[in-house]
Amino acid sequence: MIEVLGVHKSFGSHEVLRGVSLEVEAGEVVVVLGPSGSGKSTLLRTINHLEKVDRGFVSIDGDLVGYRRRGEQLYELKEREILKQRRHIGFVFQNFNLFPHLTVLENIAEVAPLSEARRFLERVGLADKEDAYPRQLSGGQQQRVAIARALATRPKVVLFDEPTSALDPELVGEVLDVMRDLARSGTTMVVVTHEIGFAREVADRIVFLDQGVIVEEGAPGEVLDNPVHERTRAFLSKVL
Amino acid sequence: MPSSGTLTIVSSKDRSDDLSSLPVVAARHPWRWVGVVAVLVLVAQFVHGLVTNPGWDWPTFARYFTAESILTAVGTTIVLTVLGTVLGFALGIVVAVLRLSRSRFLQAVGWTYIWAFRSIPLIVQLLFWFNISYLYQRLSLGIPFGPELVSFETVELISPMGAAVVGLALHQAAYAAEIVRSGVISVDPGQLEAAAALGIPKTRQFRRIVLPQAMRAILPNAANEVISLFKGTSVVSVMAIGELFYQVQVIYGRNARVVALLMVATVWYIILTTLLSIGQHYVERYFARGDRR
Repeated sequence: MIEVLGVHKSFGSHEVLRGVSLEVEAGEVVVVLGPSGSGKSTLLRTINHLEKVDRGFVSIDGDLVGYRRRGEQLYELKEREILKQRRHIGFVFQNFNLFPHLTVLENIAEVAPLSEARRFLERVGLADKEDAYPRQLSGGQQQRVAIARALATRPKVVLFDEPTSALDPELVGEVLDVMRDLARSGTTMVVVTHEIGFAREVADRIVFLDQGVIVEEGAPGEVLDNPVHERTRAFLSKVL
Repeated sequence: MPSSGTLTIVSSKDRSDDLSSLPVVAARHPWRWVGVVAVLVLVAQFVHGLVTNPGWDWPTFARYFTAESILTAVGTTIVLTVLGTVLGFALGIVVAVLRLSRSRFLQAVGWTYIWAFRSIPLIVQLLFWFNISYLYQRLSLGIPFGPELVSFETVELISPMGAAVVGLALHQAAYAAEIVRSGVISVDPGQLEAAAALGIPKTRQFRRIVLPQAMRAILPNAANEVISLFKGTSVVSVMAIGELFYQVQVIYGRNARVVALLMVATVWYIILTTLLSIGQHYVERYFARGDRR
């Protein structure tokens, strides 16, 4: 369903992604692991075109993200069309990025009718907080609202960029619980995280990224317990 | 007390008979009292002067303060301020958007506008607009370098009041643009990313997400500008428009009660500025709503 093919991305002279290819099937949960600076976040951000790729392409259900193919040429899409495409791709940020001047319900209603917004809020267990402002909530609650908001456009896939990294340890669990529920209900997810336990339990596949290339991928049991590659082993020995 | 050199840890049991039962004497600040007395003496002298010095001429002040001609002039000053603010900020938002645009050309247009209108003194610009009919006797709509469709006599189209409004608004827009821009760039870039990731259309992003948050930074500066414009309208007295300052000049030109009439204008300026400051407080509170815990 998602196809990432030969994606390259540089910031200045620093090449962050050096030819990454990845396929994600509908309903699949893929966890991307890797040391910091390995390009995990950048990879995620190229999928919804927050970062434009230098080379390669990304497509969702066969539609190129950010471009249109006509004959033998690719035409860059206008901002308005890209924004429309993004409604198919939910994105959950490390720092939540809720709109602080809007209430919880208004945050979600920004992209969905009010009644649906309430339903999504129920789904993350925060129906009683609809009139609160984001700053009145704990980090874990804020991230759950952000997940509800990401679901509100009814995306085909939800991308999670280190969704628990900005949270106090005791708040991590409630966010992972919500994500686990989503995974069980068949939501297609690509998750960048350092939560190895979550990866082991929920992921259908783990992808290990290092220095801008995919070093190793496979089922959680294989990659976590019997890593083939030296760099995967070195990384896992530090985080496990 | 413990002897010097040893640290005694007082258990909670012993504490009641220890420090907590002793009264605390606040630190004394005798010089503050000296300062207070000095200021009070100065204020008393000033107030005494206001009351006893016949030069202030309070009877004349009282006669003119609510005179019809003065009230009309206050109205004109308010109209000039409102139009200058509304048109100035409307155009200012457009210019700010130009400066923040990704297009180099539009950035340059915005920058040039701000450069030009900040460079020309307001009074000079106002006199230009006042005398625009010397430059262009007729204004017409038509095809550039081609035939005219409609045309007007400039003098008919732009009255002195119209020239004043245009001048104030164009001047104000340059400053408003920079204030709006400063507000917009103060918004966390993560907010724009979130809005973009949700696929919210561009204009809606600006109106619903960016501007309300930018208002926090915009408002104190904007209030400064409105108050400054409000008093700045006195500049249009050079165009013989009957706003407050022009009107008191006319009256003291006739009766030579300069101080009393300047006080009439001053008190009106103070009253209206006070009202604006109160309004500012409530508007700022509204835009701070997400900040309450």
